[in-house]
Amino acid sequence: MLTLTINGQSRDVDVPEDMPLLWVLRDHLSLVGTKYGCGIAQCGVCTVHVAGKPVRSCQLTVGDVGTRAIVTIEGIGSTPNGAKVQKAWMEAAVPQCGYCQAGQIMSATALLDANPQPDDADIDAAMAGNLCRCGTYIRIRRAIKNAAAKSA
Amino acid sequence: MKKIIGIVVAVIVVVALGFAGWLYLGRDPMSFAGGSTVALADYHGADVTGVPAQLASADLVKRGEYLTHAADCQACHTAPGGAPFAGGFAFNMPFGTIYSTNITPDKQTGIGKYTDTQFLAAVHKGIRADGAKLYPAMPYSSYTYMTDADALAIKAYLFTLAPVNAPARQNQLSWPFSQRSLLALWNVMFNPDERFRPNTSESPQWNRGAYLAEAMGHCGDCHTPRNLAFALDNHGKFAGTLTAGWRAYNITGDNVSGLGDWSDEDLTSYLSTGHANGHGGAAGPMGEAADDSLSYLVPDDTRALATYLRSIPAHASDLPRTVTTAAPASYREGVAADANSRGEKIFAGACASCHDWTGVSPVTGFATLTGVRAVNDPSATNVAQTVINGVNRKTTDGRIFMPAFGAGYSDDDIAAVANYVTARFGAKGADLTGKDVSALRQQAAQQSKEAPNG
Repeated sequence: MLTLTINGQSRDVDVPEDMPLLWVLRDHLSLVGTKYGCGIAQCGVCTVHVAGKPVRSCQLTVGDVGTRAIVTIEGIGSTPNGAKVQKAWMEAAVPQCGYCQAGQIMSATALLDANPQPDDADIDAAMAGNLCRCGTYIRIRRAIKNAAAKSA
Repeated sequence: MKKIIGIVVAVIVVVALGFAGWLYLGRDPMSFAGGSTVALADYHGADVTGVPAQLASADLVKRGEYLTHAADCQACHTAPGGAPFAGGFAFNMPFGTIYSTNITPDKQTGIGKYTDTQFLAAVHKGIRADGAKLYPAMPYSSYTYMTDADALAIKAYLFTLAPVNAPARQNQLSWPFSQRSLLALWNVMFNPDERFRPNTSESPQWNRGAYLAEAMGHCGDCHTPRNLAFALDNHGKFAGTLTAGWRAYNITGDNVSGLGDWSDEDLTSYLSTGHANGHGGAAGPMGEAADDSLSYLVPDDTRALATYLRSIPAHASDLPRTVTTAAPASYREGVAADANSRGEKIFAGACASCHDWTGVSPVTGFATLTGVRAVNDPSATNVAQTVINGVNRKTTDGRIFMPAFGAGYSDDDIAAVANYVTARFGAKGADLTGKDVSALRQQAAQQSKEAPNG
């Protein structure tokens, strides 16, 4: 039995240690806001925060999480930057099909946590691993800047 | 005039003999230790050959299985995706391609008809059942140190495998390398054809390690540079070299470019799992050696191997000292942002999510780049190979996985990202070109460089 801290709550899960965190979130804890995309850490859709860092949960085994706190898309709105990002996302109507957006929001929030006023190059460097097949990149960039402006 | 010609000829002969002598002196992999050696029968220390104590009473096949792992027959006798031990693995050499052969007990295409004597001749002397000479891609000049009993235990194990019908693939060698008979001379020069002789000046543990490293694991076949005749040159024993498009690192005691500053724990961890925290993990051929062979050794044998490795004289090679501090958290710091923007862009999109801009992976210690030798190797050979081939190892600690990017990225892209990674996380940035990457792909390729015959 493993004990995980997810979105501020302690959750016990009875799973093998080598199970990817994404499987645990979706199949064992019904936290299905985090999506499965490529399964090889190349699309960014499964991004969650582990100890404040954006991590691809399809590649992180649950046994490697240890005591580090996990935040998923379900909990990100309770963090100051997460709330700002979600609001900016709605105002800019960022999503199109929406599948990648949970991962985009997680990466964008981690970016603002580390760098409250990112410029275009900062945004590129932080968001390049999050793919969007609808091509909403321009609105993503605008929403991140709007959220940053509200932080200032 | 005649006199001058005579002198010239004499000089040439002396130089040639001297050179041959020099090559010959590089043959013995254990002479560095000095001391005196005795025949195994006259050695009164602990058992240094065979299986470890806990397997001593196991049946012949079980013992053979352990020794087959220790000798790592499987890695070379299995083609990627092919049946284990059925051969077909390609060795791409400068003079052509050699394929490993089927050592399952199939009577037509394998070794099913080999007698004990014939099997020993293959393992010790490189002579096939039909009398033809094997190419030294089969490391018989190392296996020659194996005892008859151990070789025959391996045979007994191999004979319990399911026979696979897999005819040998045709080697693609240019003349004169296609002439097997010429190997007679090579064998005189470079195959000592003698069994392991324990060194009475060293501990039983050292002798066990020597037996495991030389007679069984044949570490030198990748880690020792080769001479002009493609035989191991033990003047630079374990000093590292390129093998099959991958760099086998310097594993001598040198503090800068070898294992001198690895702790005993690092060393045994790497040998038993293919990974040591702070030093990175094995990939490519060493990943196979870890998964197919070294991870099967019992802890006493791992320690013996480490003891032996520790005794190898330091030999400096051109690897710089490994950088052990993480890179800055921001992509803007550290390596100048626009110095290599293509590599940086690729890193941002494909690599940073697991490896982080610091090089310290938030995902798993296996993905941490800080302190990894491949990243500190200014040739970036193994970085490029890892990017091309990915990592897919199954260990007792679970699966270690990195996607293979070789099909999705161009040679120029891979060169750019390898240069960026070595500059950001290592001691010195590499200077790979797309052409270099193309050559690395060729050397490691599991296909013949030329069109197959017929």
